[in-house]
Amino acid sequence: MDKIRAFIEDQFLVEFDESFPEDINLFKEGVMDSFGYVQLCRFLEKEFAITFTEAEMTGNVLVSLTQIRETVERKLARSGEEPA
Amino acid sequence: MCGIAGLIDTTLPSQALPDTLLDMLGTIAHRGPDGLGYVVGDDWAMGAARLAVIDIESGTQPLGDPSGRFWLCYNGEIYNYRELRADLEAQGVVFRTHCDTEVVLAAWMTWGEECLPRFNGGFAFALLDRRERRLVLARDRFGKRPLFYARHGSAFMFASEMKAFLAVPGFAFEQDPAQLASILGQWTPLPDQTGFRAIQALPMGEWLSFDKGGLERHTYARLAFPDGPAPASEDEAKELIRQHLEASVALRLRSDVEVGVYLSGGIDSAIVALLTRDISGRPPATFSVAFDDAALDESAEQQVMAAHLGTRHDTLRVSHEDIAAACPDAIYHAEVPAFRSAFIPMFLLSRRTQECGIKVILSGEGADEAFLGYDLFKETLLRCQWNDIDDDTRRRRLARLYPHLDHYGPQDIAALTGLYQQFSREQMPGLFSHELKFQNGRFSARLIKDAGDPFAAISALVAEHGEMAAMSAVQRAQWLEYKTLLPGYLLSTQGDRAALSHGIENRCPFLDQAVVDLASTINLRFDDGFEEKRLLRQAFAGRLPESIVNKRKFPYRAPDAAAFAETRPVYLELVQSESELAKLPFLDVNFARRLTAKVLTRPAAEISTKENQTFLFLLSIALLHRQFVSRDGVAGHETQRALPPLVRAVDLRGVV
Repeated sequence: MDKIRAFIEDQFLVEFDESFPEDINLFKEGVMDSFGYVQLCRFLEKEFAITFTEAEMTGNVLVSLTQIRETVERKLARSGEEPA
Repeated sequence: MCGIAGLIDTTLPSQALPDTLLDMLGTIAHRGPDGLGYVVGDDWAMGAARLAVIDIESGTQPLGDPSGRFWLCYNGEIYNYRELRADLEAQGVVFRTHCDTEVVLAAWMTWGEECLPRFNGGFAFALLDRRERRLVLARDRFGKRPLFYARHGSAFMFASEMKAFLAVPGFAFEQDPAQLASILGQWTPLPDQTGFRAIQALPMGEWLSFDKGGLERHTYARLAFPDGPAPASEDEAKELIRQHLEASVALRLRSDVEVGVYLSGGIDSAIVALLTRDISGRPPATFSVAFDDAALDESAEQQVMAAHLGTRHDTLRVSHEDIAAACPDAIYHAEVPAFRSAFIPMFLLSRRTQECGIKVILSGEGADEAFLGYDLFKETLLRCQWNDIDDDTRRRRLARLYPHLDHYGPQDIAALTGLYQQFSREQMPGLFSHELKFQNGRFSARLIKDAGDPFAAISALVAEHGEMAAMSAVQRAQWLEYKTLLPGYLLSTQGDRAALSHGIENRCPFLDQAVVDLASTINLRFDDGFEEKRLLRQAFAGRLPESIVNKRKFPYRAPDAAAFAETRPVYLELVQSESELAKLPFLDVNFARRLTAKVLTRPAAEISTKENQTFLFLLSIALLHRQFVSRDGVAGHETQRALPPLVRAVDLRGVV
């Protein structure tokens, strides 16, 4: 999961710390734009072998590192339960 | 066209005033290479560097009235000066010249500030009433011509370009982090911002007076979008568009020197070139910029248009090396931070135009603001509707807005949908239309440490303009464009400053009040706005090549950070060396360092728009610091030029 943090720090030129917490809304901070959002989703899908439905991408879930992590963990857990 | 400068209530010794003023004019002599003139009193001086365009023989400045009470330094053109002159003559005014400068002076003496709304053109002037000891500064309604002012001790000074203040003994430039953050946030300075402490720009549509009572600012032209009755039919609308633009171009062809046209490859400048040929009866000289990068180059369309009209066409091919080499000079002329490099080719194009012997050019600037040419307006429309339309409609409208989406998969459309969802409700009062665009600015503003809210100043500006409440979302978007990108970059950094750096006067037929008003009564009355500038295109469809008429809006861009990453000019040390970065104490050095390292080492395709934008901002802030604040690397461009001849020197020292 630290890969996600590293990806965001590299792509968006940020450093998560107390002044820039992991639950900060990356859109509203101007850190993530549409271009970056697409890049992030591609990275997550490739890195974790998951796919996002349109509802997941539009449902205000991928706006902070915390939310992104939770979403990815949830999807991984679910895919573990289901037979391939 | 001219550059003007002056100061009043100065404590400088009166014997030093002529030299100080000539030094000020010398810094802006590129604006007026044909001659310098000044008038000097005991504790004041003002003057002009003139580019002679109308009444070349007798238009010498400064111009005084016969009594010697009023003195005028004037920059610009008032295109309806002949009509105003006739009005003034009907009131008994006798003219000594055929120059529009004298019309401005007489208009002020006859009508006072009521003259300002009558002026159709781009202008900035300073007028001294010696009897009342009152200095008036005024500027045109769209901000075509610049005018800056500053206090320096007891003195009040003004100039067409801030660099004139470099010549004032004891005056020091200092960058203002709060203003810089605001400029980075909204991409351009607000109408009164300069990026420097103690220097202000006189906003468009305003005039100010300075006398012993102090300084007062007044607005004479408020930006409005009259919702008058729409034309009865599309055909009538198209006919009105043609009539208004013909009249506007005809007015702007009033010149005693040849007028050329800048051809971008798009519809707007094509219309201007077409009308120029038809009205003047011969094909104009046309000028274009071309790039090696096919993603930026529009030379195919430029050639088609030039061939269609049979113009004498000149193409300037601009390489990465050219951009990197000219950047410091171009920034020095721009004087304010720039978010992209596209003004640098325009700086070079004016040099080419000057070499070709042309002094005045027309361009298509202003069409996108008036006739809703930008995607921003469509995005605003769609975001307004977002929560009231179903998923299919959303997707269909997104596909119309972004035709290239076809090339992407459903995941990309989903990503875009997610973005729209985030921005479907207003979060910053009055700024709804620009919230998405300002995301890039929020990123750029991270360059400034502890900047506070970069949108505080623009939020305050919008709050001061209560009239915006009655506007539609799209009109508010237009209002913001007319107050930010247009005057703060397109007309200035990429327009007036780039053109006048080589003595080229740029004129904009789409920025005629009658044209703007007409567009307001037509926009969104006959279509939903998703096919940008549809009626404007159709109005000229039969007279222009189809490939031009049907071409989608193609934003004029130049190679951004890639030009610098590839060529590594020496001055990149300003943004790479720790000791250089330390000279800008307001910078977030960690962010700047990360940004610079990424932009200069990764492949261009991995660099996003906002990173390019932020890098250009960083580089221009560092160059401006060197040129204006520490003055240890002033561009060589100016100093190599001989000063224009002194054609008028009026000495009123000791004269009551």
